[in-house]
Amino acid sequence: MQRDATALRLFRCLLWLYPSEFRDHFSREICFVFADRLHEQPTLGCLLSMYWGVLTEAPREHYHMIRYDVVYALRTMRREKTATLTAILVLALGIGSTTAIFTLANGLLLRSLPYPHEETLVTVGELPPGAHSPGAVAFPNFLDMRSRNRSLQDFGLYTARPFTIRGDMDAERIPGAGVAYSVFPVLGVPPLMGRWFSAEDDRPKAPLTIILSEGLWRRRYGADMSILQKSIVVGTEPARVIGVMPATFRFPDQAELWLPLRTNTKDSTRTDYYMNGVARLAPGVSMAQAQSELCLIMDQIKRENPKETFEQTVKVEPFRMRTTRSVKPLLFTLIAAVGLVLLIACANITNLLLVKASARSREIAVRGAIGASRLSIMRQFVAEGLIFGLAAALLGSLFAGVAVPGMMRLTPPNLLPTWVGFAPDLRILGFVIAVSIAASLIASAAPAISSSRQNLVDALKEGSRSTTASGSKARLRSGLVIAEVAMSILLLAGAGLMIRTFLNLERQQTGMRPENLTSLVVSPPGNRYRDGDPFHQLTRRIRQELAALPGVVSVAGASGTPILDGWGRSLTAEGHPLLSLKDAPMIYHTVVTPGYFQTVAIPILEGRDFTEDDAKDPLVTIVDAGIARRYWPGQSAIGKRVRYGPPEYNEPWHTIVGVVGEVRNQTLRDYGNFSVYLPHREFASAISSYLVRTQPGLANPAAAIRARIASIDPSIAVSRVRTMQDILRQSLWSERFFATLLAAFGGLALVLAAVGLYGVMAYSVSRRTHEMGIRMAMGASSGAIRRMVLQQSGSLIAAGLVLGLVGAFAVTRYLKSQLYGVSPTDLPTLLMTAAVLIAVGLAASYVPARRATRVDPMTALRAE
Amino acid sequence: MALGKDHFEILVALADRDRHGYSILQDIAARTDGQVRLSPSTLYSAIRRLLEDGLIEELDERPDPEHDDERRRYYRLTPHGRKIAVAEARRLERLLADARATGLLPKRS
Repeated sequence: MQRDATALRLFRCLLWLYPSEFRDHFSREICFVFADRLHEQPTLGCLLSMYWGVLTEAPREHYHMIRYDVVYALRTMRREKTATLTAILVLALGIGSTTAIFTLANGLLLRSLPYPHEETLVTVGELPPGAHSPGAVAFPNFLDMRSRNRSLQDFGLYTARPFTIRGDMDAERIPGAGVAYSVFPVLGVPPLMGRWFSAEDDRPKAPLTIILSEGLWRRRYGADMSILQKSIVVGTEPARVIGVMPATFRFPDQAELWLPLRTNTKDSTRTDYYMNGVARLAPGVSMAQAQSELCLIMDQIKRENPKETFEQTVKVEPFRMRTTRSVKPLLFTLIAAVGLVLLIACANITNLLLVKASARSREIAVRGAIGASRLSIMRQFVAEGLIFGLAAALLGSLFAGVAVPGMMRLTPPNLLPTWVGFAPDLRILGFVIAVSIAASLIASAAPAISSSRQNLVDALKEGSRSTTASGSKARLRSGLVIAEVAMSILLLAGAGLMIRTFLNLERQQTGMRPENLTSLVVSPPGNRYRDGDPFHQLTRRIRQELAALPGVVSVAGASGTPILDGWGRSLTAEGHPLLSLKDAPMIYHTVVTPGYFQTVAIPILEGRDFTEDDAKDPLVTIVDAGIARRYWPGQSAIGKRVRYGPPEYNEPWHTIVGVVGEVRNQTLRDYGNFSVYLPHREFASAISSYLVRTQPGLANPAAAIRARIASIDPSIAVSRVRTMQDILRQSLWSERFFATLLAAFGGLALVLAAVGLYGVMAYSVSRRTHEMGIRMAMGASSGAIRRMVLQQSGSLIAAGLVLGLVGAFAVTRYLKSQLYGVSPTDLPTLLMTAAVLIAVGLAASYVPARRATRVDPMTALRAE
Repeated sequence: MALGKDHFEILVALADRDRHGYSILQDIAARTDGQVRLSPSTLYSAIRRLLEDGLIEELDERPDPEHDDERRRYYRLTPHGRKIAVAEARRLERLLADARATGLLPKRS
């Protein structure tokens, strides 16, 4: 008896495996049968087989229930085709856009780097006071830090720049990196062939060695298996190939070849900043510990070398951050924006399901009366929601698959390191599944809960006569639409601000005329065109040949590309107080040939341009109006003298012979950086870029330019041939990207909110046909009826508008750092947004309003 | 309409009188000499299906004198269920006749 009671208890526990419906209905009876059978046949075998029976039958019951729900859901969905398709499309747009943004985040933040043990790989940089991101490291500082530290396994410096590889008949500019020999061990990626650099390879006078990337080895050398020990000319020096790195290794970003730095502290001093640091933390050491130790060492260095250091400290960061730091704010704003779109989509689906629930309320009540539990009714809605979710997931993935490449087309090529990839992977698949399930559950929650709560009497009473029975449902629907409108306002406001920022920047005066201006980089072999006269002759020849091309208006040479390149040094003006390195303003130098200002169209405000005679005696310079204004306000700067570099270096004084208009440097956002110009003949071989102004309407001169230079000497490498307009357009790529995406999301949100508004209004009108019938029978005109409907939708729109504008005021301030020329609470933008929304909202309500006036009063009164 | 084997046995058991769950099992066991022994789970899964398809119906609980007068739920064959069971029985009859005709089973003498 005791045993029987325990056996029964165990059986009852097992019954919990059954669905609750089945349990509620049958558990009492099934326990009786269990007891009876056990009594008749009290063997262990019988007992176990009965337990086993539950284990096998319970899953089948669950499956049966799910199948029933699914079949039922599919049947109702087939019956209500438009509503179903709308719901799926809406949800798909929400899921698709969210997935697209997640793909971006995944590619940048989550995918692993091609280096082992990413968590101990760090960047090390000197941090000037007031800066946030670590910068370059000076070579002697690096040597001291490397020898004195204990928290790093090893530490290396690198500088990414293009190198010219010279073959028999051509010269190719290839992105590469100069690296200290310790960099490869720090990164820890074994070579495909050969070896890494050794300490001997990195000595200043060592014979040049080179490591190739697999891509370069295959592309240019035909995957030659005997490439090791062969010699390649880099610049003018032959380099012995000692290794080939695998294709995924492109350190730091896109390099295809690596050379040892082979530098010393005389050539690379404590004030030369052009190299970055990468290091591996020692086992068990945290980034914070390494950073504080390196800061202490830096303090020592500063004490030992007071004249060559300023107030810098050291910052240690995860290696990934050098790529993600600049895109993180952008990414998070996009995530927030797309989150809003998804919420709007969910609100729409919820409304749709609520409407369907109302329409089915009688059927649901009857089901409830014959014994279907609350749970089963809720389950029905959840099943429907999940089916929507599945269909939307498939369609949404398609959208994302198209959207991501589209987004990538808005970014400049070679922007991101090669390890950043946006191809689909398991994480993205998991995300789509998770978002679809979450969205389905959220969307079906409200209808499921409210439907299961209603009772039979209310439902049977409900006809179009009573509008109060579904009062709470109607309030929920209105609330959701108001929320959708408010969220759309937020997105549209953000989009409007970004669009204005972008347009403001695009319209910015650059200080030059970028149309019809082509820029190119030229790298001649140093041994054939030695420094000094031979080089200057080449410069003159190139200018003459290019100027002779048909359609060319003028040509000039420079040490860099306008806007992009800048050689920054400090300036001291004669007669003005001597400033230490950290106080002196940063000046952008460009070395130019005569005709530069005319070619680039920078106005000469005072004095003259350089001539071919300006060289080393006397030393002359041209400054921009900003400097003239700052140091000699109200007087002419012509004849005054300035010197460049740290005051302690005692560089020679230059006399100002001209003042030119200001240009924007490095960024279009401000004129803050001053520009000065030096004549090319003061230097041995400074000219590496050429600017070519062509007549308007001329086809792309790139090919003609390349051909002409090749005809001078095919061993001169020509690279980065771009129009100035492309350069400017690319410099604005992130503003354009941001504005485009936010506009797309804003537009999407607007469409979704309009669809939601239409749905609610259409349903409300259909429920009030009886009321309208009475009104029309009592003499109300169709205009009055229309007004009634528009009033209702108008109040929804107004409520959403107010909520949205308040939200916009609160939230747009987070965009402040991205904006230009427009404040976060810019009134015209917000008013424009409101106007657009009101127009679209009223348009969406127009059709239901017209339908309301078409109601035949007799039918309406008779209808139930 | 395809009828599961277990389902048909249950319909047969209900053909002569209303029964509760255990009584159905006992009847089946008795008729088949203990060959067909359904577990409680299998039984009620089948009952659930038969209820859904409208072949049987549930009656109010009645005390069962054979089981200490405990209240048990009784099941009854519906007219539709009876029709289906008869059709299935006739189908099996025909099959049996065919089997005898082709010599699979010995002909009745």
